[in-house]
Amino acid sequence: MKLLKGALLPVVLLILWEVGMRTHNVQSDSLAAPSQIVVAFWNAILDGTIARRTGETLRAALIGLALGSGCGLILSIVIGLVPPVARLMQFSIEVLRPVPAVALIPIAILTLGFGYGMEISLVAFATFWPVLIYGHAAITNIDAQLIDLSRVLRLSTTARITKIILPATLPRFFVAFRLAMAVSLIVAVTVEIAANPLGIGNELMTAAQSLHPDLMFAMVLWIGLIGWALNAGLLFAQRRLFGPAGGALTVQP
Amino acid sequence: MTARALWMAGSVAVTALIIFVWQLVANYSGIAPVFLPGPDRAWNALVAGFSGGDLPRLTYATVERMIYGWALASVAGIVLGAIIGSSQLARDYVAPMLEMVRPVPVSAFMPVVIAFIGLTGKMIMIVIAIGAVWPVLLATVHGVSSVEPRLVEVSKSLRLSRLETIWKIALPNSQPDILAGMRIGLTVALILTVIGEMLTSENGLGYHILMAARAFRSADLFAGVILLGLIGLTSNVILQEIERYMLRWKRR
Amino acid sequence: MGVRHMGRGSTIFADPGKLPDRETLMNQVSPLPRTRTRSPLIAFQGVNHAFGSRPVLQDINLTIGQSEFVCLVGPSGCGKTTLLRMVGGLLAPQSGEVTFGGAPVRGPAKEISFMFQDYSKALLPWRTAAGNVSLALEAVGMPVRERGPRILELLTKVGLGAHADHYPAQLSGGMQQRVQIARCLAQEPSVLLMDEPFGALDAMTRQALQDEILRLIAVSRTTVIFVTHDLEEAIYLGDRVVALYPNPGRVAQVFDVDLPSPRNQLTTREHPEFLRLRRALFDFIREGET
Repeated sequence: MKLLKGALLPVVLLILWEVGMRTHNVQSDSLAAPSQIVVAFWNAILDGTIARRTGETLRAALIGLALGSGCGLILSIVIGLVPPVARLMQFSIEVLRPVPAVALIPIAILTLGFGYGMEISLVAFATFWPVLIYGHAAITNIDAQLIDLSRVLRLSTTARITKIILPATLPRFFVAFRLAMAVSLIVAVTVEIAANPLGIGNELMTAAQSLHPDLMFAMVLWIGLIGWALNAGLLFAQRRLFGPAGGALTVQP
Repeated sequence: MTARALWMAGSVAVTALIIFVWQLVANYSGIAPVFLPGPDRAWNALVAGFSGGDLPRLTYATVERMIYGWALASVAGIVLGAIIGSSQLARDYVAPMLEMVRPVPVSAFMPVVIAFIGLTGKMIMIVIAIGAVWPVLLATVHGVSSVEPRLVEVSKSLRLSRLETIWKIALPNSQPDILAGMRIGLTVALILTVIGEMLTSENGLGYHILMAARAFRSADLFAGVILLGLIGLTSNVILQEIERYMLRWKRR
Repeated sequence: MGVRHMGRGSTIFADPGKLPDRETLMNQVSPLPRTRTRSPLIAFQGVNHAFGSRPVLQDINLTIGQSEFVCLVGPSGCGKTTLLRMVGGLLAPQSGEVTFGGAPVRGPAKEISFMFQDYSKALLPWRTAAGNVSLALEAVGMPVRERGPRILELLTKVGLGAHADHYPAQLSGGMQQRVQIARCLAQEPSVLLMDEPFGALDAMTRQALQDEILRLIAVSRTTVIFVTHDLEEAIYLGDRVVALYPNPGRVAQVFDVDLPSPRNQLTTREHPEFLRLRRALFDFIREGET
């Protein structure tokens, strides 16, 4: 029932949009009727555009995500374990973090030219920060008793990391990872829209510039679907791995 | 000097160290200055740009766009959010649609809206507002619809009107959420401003750095990027201070 | 106890030929408390209520007179808070009627003030103590000019004159509760509904606030319905104590409290009548639990 209620308004708006376009016989360079959008989308699937472009975007986004979140994870563990380092790095982090990834696009173009390299670097930069910040917060919020336990058991550093710190912080890291994944897609598409001749974003721009609004809207739709699907997939994985509560603090034997 | 001040000084020193290393790399690594200008070149470009160059004008244009777009987005987001959040009817019918739009990157909307609205400077502000409204809107809806039930009963018991309840209870209650949403909205506004300027060749830092990259004026490019980073940092710090003042009732 | 004059809504007169049995008698309550005026102000008539499939109140008939201090006591599940919320207009009974001044309660009334148990959640955390009291004055539309002095007067009355500019987070539990009292008094109510207001406070603060309430309403002759699970508190404060049995909530017995006024924490609690009532009430409640 709730689903029906939520779907009512969008469906009504879509119908109005379609009817409005048809009755006024609008021929527009910037607007397309829902039916046309669906047709354009279908055609794009058939001629392989969707597959190719999505592959390009995802390749850049996921490699960048792996790099950025990997570095973020490692660094957050390091500064989490050695608090003095965290305090010394604080100013640098506060200064570098607010730089919007988009502002770095021209630098990336300058140094790496167009193509995968610049996009991956930018995605890596953007995904590094949330994982670092949230990961650091996760580590510093570990139940003090677990830390004491690791001391009492006289665990080596490696053992302490693998048996206590990682399992205890994994749920929160996963949430940070989910956020980073969303960021990776956003940044990848943004870079493609702004400059890079690759991927879905670029397809969107070329459609807009060649006055094919139906294809342009179809790309917007597709981006939304991918974003939603990725997030839903990760949420599902999170529930399966960590339970509905988002995970308890456990110690591996 | 307190321990805290010492650590702060230490971390500033670390940043200075990083800049120093940057200078060394730029000078001695053999990478041409065209690709990696040292901090000295970037600084010179900054100084030159401000004392008689274009930077003040461009900075002002970018900041003005960002702030106006963000302010517009915040007001619209709060008003709409209050309306939607306070009505169970609206929440059932409208909120799901909002959730559907949420995962779409805002920048994907930019070409669409630009295609509609056109490319003048004022219009970019509208585009920025359309993009930056989402965090504020969603945060307000969440805050207004999750008021402590006891406070709702207090307002019923005092027979406050619907408008009074929203203004005196629901919105103040949502202050933390709304302020957080506005902070995110500001970040989004900056990003959209930069992209908007890049896409539309409008006067501003975004276009400036893109042109600098194309013309291989790397010092100007770095100077511009640093400036944008500073804008992001300063606006964030200011907003954080405002937030701290407004939420002072939470402490102690 | 003897036979008392039956209030409005009595089921006994429906069939005058029948003598009332003890059970029915026990369910009727006198509207004529000894020391106060006679007019019934609030009445419950045949009130029944259930939450989902769980019956919470069963056939409640109760009247409360003007200027009475009535305490509702009973273990959890006896519906005493539910009764209070019905008078406060926050809940409508599924069957039966709740009236105030003769008219059925359709929503919160201007003259009825509700004091919540969880004071920390009932105060606006973003407003100072003065701001919270001001809310009640704003609600009745008092012009801005007049609010300041009145707020100060009320806060001084509850002993918080020096804390007007403090936020709830900076005040102790007892002080927060006093802010709520001040806010309730700002409405100048003829009826004060209090839902276990002192339950979460320490014993000393509780006693201080008990006396404070008695002092505050002594002059204004406000009617008070006071819900508590503390039997001694009920006897100390009330003119009448209504004991409810749980699952579902029913009026089990009403005790008249014949103790001298003004009450005193030491002497009243040692008074033989106090001790007798205490024993009677304890036994009664214990019986109900078996």
